[in-house]
Amino acid sequence: MLAGKDLSMIDALTISLTGILMVFTELVLLAFAVVIISKVVGAFSKGKNSSKTTDNTTNSKSDAVPLPETQSRGEIDLIDVSQEDAAVIMAIVSNKSGIPLNRLVFNSIKLLEEE
Amino acid sequence: MNFVDVLRDTIANSGFAILTWQQGVMMIVSFILLYLAIVKKFEPLLLLPIAFGMLLANLPGTGIMADPAGIMDASQAIPGARWYDDGVLRLIYAGVKSSIFPCLIFLGVGAMTDFGPLIARPSSLLLGAAAQFGIFMAFMASLALGIFTPEQAAAIGIIGGADGPTAIFTASKLAPELLGPIAVAAYSYMALIPLIQPPIMRALTTEKEREVKMEQLREVSKAEKIIFPIVVTVLCTLMIPDVAALIGMLMLGNLFKESGVVERLSDTAQNALINIVTIMLGVTVGATAEGAIFLKVQTLAIVGLGLLAFAFATAGGVLLGKLMYYVTKGKVNPLIGSAGVSAVPMAARVSQVEGQKANPSNFLLMHAMGPNVAGVIGSAVAAGFFLLLFGS
Repeated sequence: MLAGKDLSMIDALTISLTGILMVFTELVLLAFAVVIISKVVGAFSKGKNSSKTTDNTTNSKSDAVPLPETQSRGEIDLIDVSQEDAAVIMAIVSNKSGIPLNRLVFNSIKLLEEE
Repeated sequence: MNFVDVLRDTIANSGFAILTWQQGVMMIVSFILLYLAIVKKFEPLLLLPIAFGMLLANLPGTGIMADPAGIMDASQAIPGARWYDDGVLRLIYAGVKSSIFPCLIFLGVGAMTDFGPLIARPSSLLLGAAAQFGIFMAFMASLALGIFTPEQAAAIGIIGGADGPTAIFTASKLAPELLGPIAVAAYSYMALIPLIQPPIMRALTTEKEREVKMEQLREVSKAEKIIFPIVVTVLCTLMIPDVAALIGMLMLGNLFKESGVVERLSDTAQNALINIVTIMLGVTVGATAEGAIFLKVQTLAIVGLGLLAFAFATAGGVLLGKLMYYVTKGKVNPLIGSAGVSAVPMAARVSQVEGQKANPSNFLLMHAMGPNVAGVIGSAVAAGFFLLLFGS
């Protein structure tokens, strides 16, 4: 389009403004597309999950809706341990054992004082 | 012929006798870059082959980048020479000139990239766009200097995208004569991101803003991750067709990874293929930095403009991050904006480090990865825009 042509500073400014506008337009469009994809996929998986729940009435609620891999099952007793420390310990156990957190059950984490 | 004549002829034909001062300087530059890559570990994967290519090309009399067949430059053609008479690095350089190597690198980058954080927070794309501000500032500054053509200015501007393959892709099409300095500047500054960005980030944000802890990102489903690369390819290419090669290969690599049905292809793209191409691209790009071509005022200007581009790119991302901080009433930490300059994952790590300095319990890495990968798309779009305007 402009190959081999001389440009004034006004032209350069116009091109720059058009360029940054183009980049923003493109990425804003993508952002909208991502939102739409997420909504459509979310609606689909919701429909799937609800049909699974009605089909399989013998399963408990916790089995019908799978937990994300970053969330553990059940409840845990924390004895002298902060929630942050417990989260780190559980993540390490999951990582070292190669078992996702949603397949691990922690009963309690207790601080052992050094004598 | 006596011993002295033989000795004199040997010395006269050795590299020492024909070494020019430019070659000597470039050899010293290559030693410095080797030092930075090996000892300081500045982007060693690319800086090391680039530096060694630079060294090889500046050793006198090797003809390693000679082009007697005139494949790259018809003015160098010697009558009767065939393509295989060209120097070995000149032949490999065809992969850069034809844009094959940058595209294959993008394939590997795509196979290594997780777009999950970006899909979880689509507003990251805006930060990736804002950080392209540096590209257009450097473009205008290059033109203002009056020593570059508009095509060269556009190629220099792309340094601000902090994306090596995109910079090489654009330079090889718009300003092949500046490919060496542009590639060296782009990779050197990418390596120096941990030094360049923090002062700008701190200058543009308050302590309170830097302390902001962001909400955990939602989990992204596999279906979203599979659809994303297809949608990006279609949307970006429809808008700017010149971006098809870069974005197409980036997204193909990502689809290899996310689809989960072509494990072998994904593994090859993100390991063997990208490693092989990196060696060939690095060495041949370094070899374009021949003393007589490299040691010019233009090169010094490119080095300065590259720094300007990086600084404005960082500022653009941080300032939009600041705006998002106010709009969301303090839910967005502006430090993640600087990661919009691509340079994956170095720029995101800088956001993480700066965030933790302000608040030790702050974990910004995953939040910064969104703008970081958005920056890769943004810089490719900016490159496509310039190619659309200035490409022949």
